[in-house]
Formats: sequence, C-alpha cells, structure tokens
Amino acid sequence: MTTRTVRSFKPSWRETTIGTAAFFGVWYFVALIGIAPAKFFPMPHEVLAKLFALTHTQFAGATLQMHLLSSLHRYAMGFLLAIVIGLPLGLLMGRFRWLDVVVTPLFDALRFIAPVAWVPFAALWFGTGIGGPTLIIFAGAFPPILINAYRGARGVDPRYLEAASMLGIGSFKTITDVLFPAAIPSIIAGLRVGAGLGWMSLVGAELIAANRGVGYLIVKGQSAVDTPIVMAGMIAIGAVGVVIDVVLRKLEKHLLRHRKS
Amino acid sequence: MKLKSTIGVASTLAVLVGAMIVWYTVTAATGWVSPARFPHPAETWQSFVAIATNGYGNGKLHQHVLNSLKLVAMGFGVAVLVGVPLGLLMGYSRKAEALLNPAFLLLRPIPPLAWIPLAIVWLGLEDASKVLVIFVAAFVPSVINSYAGVRQIEAPILEAADMLGIRGLTFVREVLVPGSLPSIFTGLRLSLQASWTTLVAAELIGALYGLGSILNQAAQDIYPAMILVAMIFVGLCGASTTWLLGELERRAMPWRRQWGAQ
Amino acid sequence: MSEITFTNVSRSFERDGNMFLAVDSVSLTVRDREFVAIVGPSGCGKTTCMRMAAGLEFPTAGQVTVSGKEVISPGPDRAVVFQQFALFPWKTVSENIDFGLRAKGLDEAERRRIVEHNIALMNLRGYETAFPHQLSGGMQQRVAIARAYALDPDVLLMDEPFGALDAQTRVVMQEELVKLARLNPRTVLFITHAVDEAVYLADRVVIMTSRPGKIKEILDVKAVRDAENWDQHSRIEDVMDLASFVHLRTRIWKSLREEHAGDDH
Repeated sequence: MTTRTVRSFKPSWRETTIGTAAFFGVWYFVALIGIAPAKFFPMPHEVLAKLFALTHTQFAGATLQMHLLSSLHRYAMGFLLAIVIGLPLGLLMGRFRWLDVVVTPLFDALRFIAPVAWVPFAALWFGTGIGGPTLIIFAGAFPPILINAYRGARGVDPRYLEAASMLGIGSFKTITDVLFPAAIPSIIAGLRVGAGLGWMSLVGAELIAANRGVGYLIVKGQSAVDTPIVMAGMIAIGAVGVVIDVVLRKLEKHLLRHRKS
Repeated sequence: MKLKSTIGVASTLAVLVGAMIVWYTVTAATGWVSPARFPHPAETWQSFVAIATNGYGNGKLHQHVLNSLKLVAMGFGVAVLVGVPLGLLMGYSRKAEALLNPAFLLLRPIPPLAWIPLAIVWLGLEDASKVLVIFVAAFVPSVINSYAGVRQIEAPILEAADMLGIRGLTFVREVLVPGSLPSIFTGLRLSLQASWTTLVAAELIGALYGLGSILNQAAQDIYPAMILVAMIFVGLCGASTTWLLGELERRAMPWRRQWGAQ
Repeated sequence: MSEITFTNVSRSFERDGNMFLAVDSVSLTVRDREFVAIVGPSGCGKTTCMRMAAGLEFPTAGQVTVSGKEVISPGPDRAVVFQQFALFPWKTVSENIDFGLRAKGLDEAERRRIVEHNIALMNLRGYETAFPHQLSGGMQQRVAIARAYALDPDVLLMDEPFGALDAQTRVVMQEELVKLARLNPRTVLFITHAVDEAVYLADRVVIMTSRPGKIKEILDVKAVRDAENWDQHSRIEDVMDLASFVHLRTRIWKSLREEHAGDDH
C-alpha cells in the first residue's frame, strides 16, 4: 500500500515534538561527547541561561534590550527609507516607460553588489553610528522592494488603467488609487523579502563597524571567546527576524482581507 | 522582437554612458563631490591598474578574485551537494520531514551573517571558517527550495509514475529530480547570492586575501578609488556566477524551451 | 479474463472533522472487454470509483478486484488516462510512451516497436521528439492514451479524459476512441459527466447519484447499438441523430435531472 499520492500534510503535534526533541537531542549529544571543548560548544540550557542573564547584566556596554533597541532604531530608519524611495520608484517605473529605460540599467549594474560591500563607503560617508548602518540596511532592503513594486505595477490588468483614463482620472490619482492597490500583493511580498535582507544586512553592518547593537554584541562575544553569548545573540537576532516577518504577514492578511486567495 | 532588443541594448548603453558622464562631471570636472568621498573615474582606473599589476593588500587582483571564488565554490558546492538531496528527501518522505523540519524552522530565521562570529570562535580567521559560513548561508535555501520543489510536483504526475510502475532510482532520477528542478534552481540562485554576501562580510571582518579583504584594507587606508574597484569586482563576480548558473539552468531543462528552438 | 468488480464498496472521507460518505455500497462488474461508462453529477464519487480500481485510493468497506485479485496498489496492468493528461513535461512524446515499457523490463527492440506502433495508432507521427508543452491539449491526450495502450494493460481506466479539451477536439478524440475500442477491445472503465459521450462510447452506462454516491441504474447501450447498427456510421453526429440514440440520451438526462431536482436547496 505504498501510495505517493498524499501530498498535503500538516505535521501533527507529536511529529513536531519528536522533530524538535531530535534537534535538541543531537545538540546535547554533540556537546556531551565532547568533540569540541565545552567552552566552544555549550549546551542549550547554558545558552538560554546566558540569554536570560544578558537581559539584566551589561555586555559590550549595554544589556540585550538596549542592543536590540539600538539595532531596531537603525533598522527602522533604513527599512523606511527603502520603502519611501523603492516603492514609489518601482510603481512609477511600472507606469512610465522612460523611467524604466533609465533606471533599469543602473539598477542592474548595482544589483549584484552584495549589500555589505557598501560598508566602507557607508562608514566613509555617514560614519558608523546611525547613518552608515542605515545605508547598509537600505542597500539590502531596497532592491526587492523596488523590483516587486515594479512587477506589481506591470502586472496590473490594463483594463483598470483604461477604465481610469476613460473616467478622466489624472496621472497621480491613477497611481495612488489604481496602480498601488492593485499591486499590493506583490508589494507586500517585496516588503517581506526586503525586511529579511535588511535585517541580515544590519547584522552584517554591525559586525563590521558599530559600537552598539546585536551584531556588535555577538562580535564582542566572539572576541571574548564566549560562545554562549554568541549563540544567545544569534537566537535574539533570529527571534527579532521572526517577529518582523510575523508583523508583515499580519499586515498582508489585513490588507488582502477583501481578496480571494 | 529583434528590433525591440536592439533598442533595449542601445538605450541601456546610452544610460550607462550618461551615468559615466554624470560621474565625471560631479567629481573630476566640477569637484562638487570631494575625491575623499567618491573617486574620479581616472583615479578609479589607475587603482584598478595598480592592483592588477602591482597588487594591493596582500596580492594582485586576480589572486584576490581567485581566492574569493575558491571559497564560494567550496561552501556553495558542499551546500548544494548536501542540501539538495536532503531537501528532496524531506519533500518525499513524511518521516524525514517530521524529523528534520523543526530543526530548519529553528535555524532558518538566523541570518547567515550572524553565524560569522560563531564560525570565527570555532575555526578562527582561516579559510575554513569562511567556507563554513558560506555553507550555512547556501545550505538553507538549497534545502528549502528542493523540498518545495518536490511538493510542487503535481499529484497526477506522481500517480502516473506509480501507475507505470516506476520505482527506486529511476523514480528519483527521472521523476523526482526533473520535477523539482525549476524550484531547485530558484534555490541555487538564492544560495549563490547568499554565498557572495556572506563571503564579502566574512572577508571584511578578517582575511588575508579576497575581495572583502581589499575593501577592508582600502577602508582603513581611506582609499575610495580602491573601495570602488573592489565593489565593482564584487558585483562582477556575483553577476558572472549568476549568469553561469542561468546557462546551466537553461541547459538542464531543455523541455522548458520553446518549440522554435528545435 | 480481465474483470473489474466492485463488491459493496464504500469510501468515506474526513473533511473539517466530519466524515462524509463519497461512495456508498457500490456493486458493479465490468466484464472482460466491456466498455462501461459512469455518468453522474460532479461530486457523486465516480472518479473515486475509478481511483479505487486504479489503486490510487482504497475502499473503507467492501472490496475492489481486477482479474480476480484485490487491488492494493497502482500498477501497469491497470493503465490510467488522467483528465489533466499527467504527462512528464521533461520527457518527449516517445520517452513518455516508452517510460512504462522500460519499467516493465522489455528489451529495446520490442520497446521501439511498441512505441512506434502506438505513435502511428494515435496519429502522433512527426511529434516523437516534441515535449508535451509544445503540443495542443488534444495531442497531449493522444500521447496519454498511447502511453496507456502501450502498456498492454488488462484494463483501461479513463477519468474524464476529454474533459479538458475543446468541443471540436473532443469529437475527434471520441471518434478515434470508438475506432480503437472496436478494433482492439479492452476492459474499460470510463468516467464522464457528458451524457452524449457516455452513450456514444460505452457498452453499458452506469448512472450515479450524489451524496452519497450510489448507483441509481445501469443501462445497456450495446443492445440498442447492435440492434440499430450504430457502427455503420463513422461520424459521431450521424450516430447522435439516430432516434435510438436520442431516446437513450434523453432517458439518462431525465434520470440525472430527478437527482438535481431533489438536490435544489
């Protein structure tokens, strides 16, 4: 009775528990057999204890919350900047051919430069405090936001645009009231990808040049050869990434609540 | 179609030439942008010649480029060789999925760059730690997209294979893999992109050779022209390897080409 | 002897926590080399019946046997023609037809002979090296039928094979299937919701009702066809014009409509 036909499959609680237990089991196993000294491979509960300790003792000049807050501050700036520039530009490129012709080659020329490669210029132009990292986050989040807004605008059913021009709706109004709402699914997809890449770029920027933030925290943990701190920081970074994605997914659900899936 | 693409090439060239003129105007011709912030075109060219012939950092340009390429090839290569089969297994076997998926759900949110300090603690600043983080960066998209690829194979296709009595290795080679291939390649493209980002970051943090090490050295020397040269080569390496992957993709899936190609 | 027998077969599904009965105690025998069509409204469980004969689904009660053996898995002795064709997009026309033969372990010369024969039979010459997406829907379904026939199966199971085709292509395919069926009779279970198609193709037509899926009645078309000599007409429209055809069709329509009337809510 081997059928391959059952495809859709939601794991049961039991299976999820077994899988999760397997993950931590392997972790404990590797830590306990001592392939690496305990210092380099702490056990899960040690990492969790450290994570908790970091919330009330300072490391690298601040507690975990302060580092996170500092990272989120820069992140919010860079991400918002990417939205403010990328979203309208993408929509306009989708609407006006000449803009597409001008921007696309420039965009393509810059697209393959990894966002972290901007770190030296970012530091040179804006310093390592707020401005530099903001540019890096921008470099990470901007391309997907622009591309998806562009694709969304290009994908709009031309009948909507024809109807708009027939109704005598002006250019600006057409973009805000027709193009934008129709492109929302694609835009949100771009925001989610951009948010992830932006968050990763922020970590990269803070690893290289910063004096506060979660990336800075784990770099300092590395210099102190304190593996639990590094791992605790990684968990915090991952957790914030998940929260950002959950928020955007909620937003997506809210904005698309009138549409059929 | 032909005409349209010719116009496309011409306008692209025009825009890029225009961008060069603007660059020249704002830096060299008028001095609106100080050379301490962004280099002149001529300066950039001289830096390129200097690093190509005399070297900069700890080597000549081609040594840096080859070292970076080598690390990416190793990390990416191992990630793909391990990740794709694992993803296929997770997509196909419910047991494997139940067992392995939680680990992925837990590890996936951690951005690959956040692994760099851990890799340094474990393996130091040597090449091995860079290969490890590139592996981590490339591994996750490889697995996830291969896994999604299996899930995207339409049920009737699998039923047809069952009905025809296709089993074992033949099933894997001629049904599972080709059916997942479009998604596998999507994963490889993301993996490659992540590999380059991670490599540059890891080399910026500490390396003797490599494009990131040029960036780091030039940043410390406050040498904008060399920063720009290194950035250009980061972009060129990323673009050319992506192009190569695209060619491979086209060749690997001849059935996706149009009838006219026959 | 290749018979398909359903003995008191039921099949229930769970949906949103509720069990519902898709097929309710169906008993039916498709005799050796008989062409049986099941018609019924969508959701009446006719496709589920076919899938149980194919071994793609299993009864929750009762038993399905083919050639006397209980069906426990899919296999090449029960070739399926799917509504969505289900060709392998990465294989050419020839490779698609050949795939099942390779799994059977036939030698190469034999395989080539069978592939060529079936390509000729289904008018696919000249398209041997084309990929499925380069063909029209009708051509794709020809490949799927050729693939099924090439297996030389005991029984053929067809799940609305012409459902995805346009009206003209559909007619051509129906005519060809009739020729094929008369030339090379097989045990066929054919699922459709098109009454015309069922009457034109089948020896017997099974009418199913929905919720739960039950057999309402079975009509013997073959007796009428032989008596009125339908096969002297090669064109479907000529057959459909015959009073005996119209009569049968109307009868089935009425039977189905009674169901629908009871269904209004």
